[in-house]
Amino acid sequence: MRRCFSTKAIEDIETELEQKGPEYWKYLLSKALQDKSLDVLEHFSLTLLVEGATESEVGSLNRGFPYLRTSHLKGTDWLISMNARTLVELWRDPRGKEFAGHVVSELESRNVCPIFSELAFGGRVRAS
Amino acid sequence: MRVKLLYHTDLDSVKRVYAKEGVPFDPEAVMDHVVYMFEIEDCSRVTTHQLVRHRAVSYDQESQRFSAATREGVITPPTIVSNENAYRAYDEALKAVYSSYEKMVAAGVPKEDARYILPSAIMTKLVMTLSARSLMHLVWQRTALQAQWEIRELAVTLHHLAQEATPELWTRIIER
Repeated sequence: MRRCFSTKAIEDIETELEQKGPEYWKYLLSKALQDKSLDVLEHFSLTLLVEGATESEVGSLNRGFPYLRTSHLKGTDWLISMNARTLVELWRDPRGKEFAGHVVSELESRNVCPIFSELAFGGRVRAS
Repeated sequence: MRVKLLYHTDLDSVKRVYAKEGVPFDPEAVMDHVVYMFEIEDCSRVTTHQLVRHRAVSYDQESQRFSAATREGVITPPTIVSNENAYRAYDEALKAVYSSYEKMVAAGVPKEDARYILPSAIMTKLVMTLSARSLMHLVWQRTALQAQWEIRELAVTLHHLAQEATPELWTRIIER
């Protein structure tokens, strides 16, 4: 987690996280989300194949969320990358909530970072 | 200095997406999607001040508000190490600075205030995450002969680690 609060070598931080287990992860993530220290989430990156999105929809997301990185593949298919901070910001903003819901559903269906999903998005999320 | 690649985007997964879509894979097109996360330890704050001028990067750096500083934890440039008189002056100054730092902390001054006296030579640690495109720009600029030796050394190491992890993206970059 946040390097600035620890003077330890990365291996020691990793060992500590492993030993303390999921509850410690929950504590650190909750603190980051509550304190709005979202910068730590910038180190968790996601790359997604997004299907069925129009140019206008993707353009609108891009204008609202400058840290989204989008590449057009073909038709209505896109490669979209973001970090977890941007995902949380999408989720908290009405302009991005629907798209974020799709992303979170996908994360949940693949059991990617369940602790993060539960804390940041309130567990089960239904995409609209 | 110690540099470790903690994470990088799985390029094969990205290539599978291109294959599934029937779109030819173009390394240039995925430069914004592939990211690297590095842990950098024991480089000076001189170098990290230069590093953070690269803007499209996420940084988390060890805080001097929380960590104590010691005379041993500093970087000494080779031009000073190799010059006896210069090294003596450097060492004397550092001893004086750290002696004052320790006295202030002992007197109850918070570390976050006592640190105002610390030198830029102090060693630091940070985690940084950046895209392949941002890293390429950093490598291009900071491997130039005009770049300072420490950040140059760092840029060369970052380049080699990224190239080893994702060779297909690093076929055209030329260190300067």
